[in-house]
Amino acid sequence: MSRSTITKPVTIDSMGSMELKKHSAGATQLSAGATPPLKLAMPTLMSASNIHKSYRKGELEVPVLKGVNLEIAAGSFTAIVGQSGSGKSTLLHLLATLDAPDQGAVHFQDRRIDNLSPRQRETIRNRQFGLIFQFYHLLPELSMLENVLVPKMVQDGFFSYLRNKRAYKKRAVELLEMVGLGHRMAHRPNELSGGEMQRTAIARALISNPSVILADEPTGNLDEENGGEVMETLDNLREQENLTVIMVTHDVGLAKSADKTIRLVGGVVVSD
Amino acid sequence: MYKLLLSWRYLRTRFIALASIISVTLGVATLIVVNSVMSGFVFEMKSRLHGILSDVEVAAPLLGQIHNPEYHTRIIRDVLGDDIESMTCVVRNPALLTFDVNGRQWTQQVMLLGIDDESFGSVTDFHPYLQNTHKREQFSFSLEEQGYPQWVSAGCPDWTTDSAWDYRRRKFSKIREAETRRLEQEKLYDLAAAEYLEQQAAKSRAWDAAQAAGDTQAPRNGEAVNANYNSNVQSPDTRQPIAASQATFIGPEQPVPRAPEKHMSASGFQHVPLPDQAPDFAAIHAQETAGVEAADSSATLRFAPTHHFNDGKTTREFRKFDPVDPYAKYSPEPAVEDFFDPEKDQYTGIILGLAIAKRKTIGEDGELKDFYMVRPGDDVQIMFPTVGGSAKPISENCTLVDFYSSNMHEYDSSFAFVPLKELQKIRGMVDPLTGDASVSTIQIKLKEGADLDAARDKLMAQFPPESYPYDIHTWQDTQRPLLSAVHMELTILNLLLFMIIAVAGFGILATFFMIVVEKTKDIGVLKALGAPSSGVMSIFLGYGMALGLVGTGAGVVLGLLFVRYINEIAEVVQVVTGQEVFDPEIYYFSEIPTIVSPTMVLLVGLGAILIAVMASVLPALRAARLHPVEALRYE
Ligand SMILES: Nc1ncnc2c1ncn2[C@@H]1O[C@H](COP(=O)(O)OP(=O)(O)O)[C@@H](O)[C@H]1O
Ligand SMILES: [Mg+2]
Repeated sequence: MSRSTITKPVTIDSMGSMELKKHSAGATQLSAGATPPLKLAMPTLMSASNIHKSYRKGELEVPVLKGVNLEIAAGSFTAIVGQSGSGKSTLLHLLATLDAPDQGAVHFQDRRIDNLSPRQRETIRNRQFGLIFQFYHLLPELSMLENVLVPKMVQDGFFSYLRNKRAYKKRAVELLEMVGLGHRMAHRPNELSGGEMQRTAIARALISNPSVILADEPTGNLDEENGGEVMETLDNLREQENLTVIMVTHDVGLAKSADKTIRLVGGVVVSD
Repeated sequence: MYKLLLSWRYLRTRFIALASIISVTLGVATLIVVNSVMSGFVFEMKSRLHGILSDVEVAAPLLGQIHNPEYHTRIIRDVLGDDIESMTCVVRNPALLTFDVNGRQWTQQVMLLGIDDESFGSVTDFHPYLQNTHKREQFSFSLEEQGYPQWVSAGCPDWTTDSAWDYRRRKFSKIREAETRRLEQEKLYDLAAAEYLEQQAAKSRAWDAAQAAGDTQAPRNGEAVNANYNSNVQSPDTRQPIAASQATFIGPEQPVPRAPEKHMSASGFQHVPLPDQAPDFAAIHAQETAGVEAADSSATLRFAPTHHFNDGKTTREFRKFDPVDPYAKYSPEPAVEDFFDPEKDQYTGIILGLAIAKRKTIGEDGELKDFYMVRPGDDVQIMFPTVGGSAKPISENCTLVDFYSSNMHEYDSSFAFVPLKELQKIRGMVDPLTGDASVSTIQIKLKEGADLDAARDKLMAQFPPESYPYDIHTWQDTQRPLLSAVHMELTILNLLLFMIIAVAGFGILATFFMIVVEKTKDIGVLKALGAPSSGVMSIFLGYGMALGLVGTGAGVVLGLLFVRYINEIAEVVQVVTGQEVFDPEIYYFSEIPTIVSPTMVLLVGLGAILIAVMASVLPALRAARLHPVEALRYE
């Protein structure tokens, strides 16, 4: 919790130039409004305690998580790193209530969420969490704008959606413009590059003003340039919208820019 | 919202599913077409079956009778009350029908119905089936002067006149003419024979005288006698007209009149009383030798123009002074009305089913042609038993006054109609003391929409079989086997066609499973974004419904269009394949009959949509059950 974001030294690595840019942007943002001490005082937004998860493969039970504990401060940027197959995605899914742990509890805003009813979990996912996936997972039948609007469609009933459509659309356009895709709103996902798709997915994750962004290797499927763009977008937005971000990555460079890095080895957190 | 949007987008982008829905479309269209055509046919068939059967019938057993029909109709009126539209009494009994076809006798069994002129037509659809256009409007059992324009215009080779009377007059005048000639010829033979005998007698007298006088050289048989005989009998000028008249009588270029012998026996010649004295041959001879040529030309003069026969006087004169009727002058002159003149009079009218008379023959050009064995204007004989314990057969002459054709072969080939009163009289159904006539059947027409079976049951309760030997049935009871067969056919056909849609349903099922598998990741995303399982499920249900709606809608439109233009389509198919799809000769309809029932279309449509939805239920359930993590992980 002590290692908060803004005063982090610039590191020159593979993404050095971008880090620089990003941080300068973050700095201007800060000088314009928010104050660091507030952020530092942010309480724990999410926590996981003693989480166990194992998968069954026929007779064989494969334990993936063996007692994971973690705390996420509001407004922080947490990176979850670890080897491929170490259970990063599994942990993220458990935090996002997409799956239930075998043991242990997940708390969100001081409320246990892992054992809520499906309906309640769906509502939390829809309103509080913004999910970003490695393979973007946009709906191919919908345009970019519609894809961004999907969480709103899911949230609202038919008529309330129609009633609020104008406001939602405005917000969606705003977000798409923020991620630099204001000119491609009518396009279908298959007409865009991976980076553009992932930026659309970010806009989608942000449409319902979530408290937490849960991203599973958002750059994992992108080349350097596109990945950089995506990270830049994410960072900018994080600053602007005062977001808490939990990001799974195997990119050590990316993890270094995080406030906190959680390393998973053998089903437990080894470093904090 | 997303459900609708996604259903709609899937509909627009998944053409494979549209292809699977084509089978629904075709199934729906076929169902509509088949049902429409079948109900058209069934309707036509039912109205035909119903045709000359009344709604409900109270029938005495075969050859039995219902005494005091007035009493019965009163009771029936009491029992059925306002349900009754009209009632009629009928005498029905089997009979043998005999007529001549080109001199050969044709006999067949018919069901003879004595019907009441007025009320029968109000109980059954009898009148519209009559062939004579005039009788359709104004029914009677008399022979009509006109009313067969359809036969004339159809170029029926045997039927060159619109009038049945005209035909009858021509026919009998020809018969009379021929008979006249035959008699003439007979007379000539008789005369010659008489003369010969006379000469022989004279010769024998002369010979006797000569013998007595002792002249033995006198010839016994003179040459002159033979010469005389030959000149009288075989001279070409007397033989030739007979041959000519016979030629016209049976010549191929002339329509062949039927049964000269029989009609002679049925004609007025029979009624001429036999002379009680032997004819005076000498006097006849004197008259004949002068009259032969005259009779020839005058007979033609009298018979040829038709209008002469509309004038009673001409006929009377002819009858009175008939130069060739050898018996005329010996009989006391009877009142003209007493004679039955087939050219002027008819027997009791009879109406036969068309199929009794109509046959197909192959003409010279190899084409099928209609041939009428008997036709309006001809006389026929019917033979049937009287009523009562000691039934005796009666034979009765009737004049065929018209045909009826309901196009139900069963009826058209077996029913014959005569006037009720005549039949009652002839069959001995009239009580000689009271004058009350019994009947054999009371036919009842019920009001539109009345329950036939209920009416029948009420009547059965009123006339229980223990006390009344009556058979009470509805027309549907009569035709039950056929109706139930048709019904069964329709049911099975519908079942089979619905199977087609069900098969289409399995197609949809398979396609949907594929789509769900294909959309697994999207389902995972939706769930991750907070969509409930029910929402995911309704996407696919909605999609199935949308497909069902589209397929069914297209099917309904296609089917209705097909039904609307079915005759045109049949024509096109006929032109293309050269094979007649719909032969009006076979079905008796000029067009393929169709009835589109909105209920049927609605049911078929709903059924198809339901099948499409049901086929999407399983895949939708599967989609709903997908675990979001597994779905997202799916590659
Ligand atoms: N549904 C599953 N069934 C069986 N094993 C699974 C399942 N999901 C993940 N695993 C296993 O759990 C381990 C962790 O997976 P994951 O969390 O995806 O790893 P990471 O994201 O760190 O690469 C892997 O060894 C993987 O094979
Ligand atoms: Mg992973």
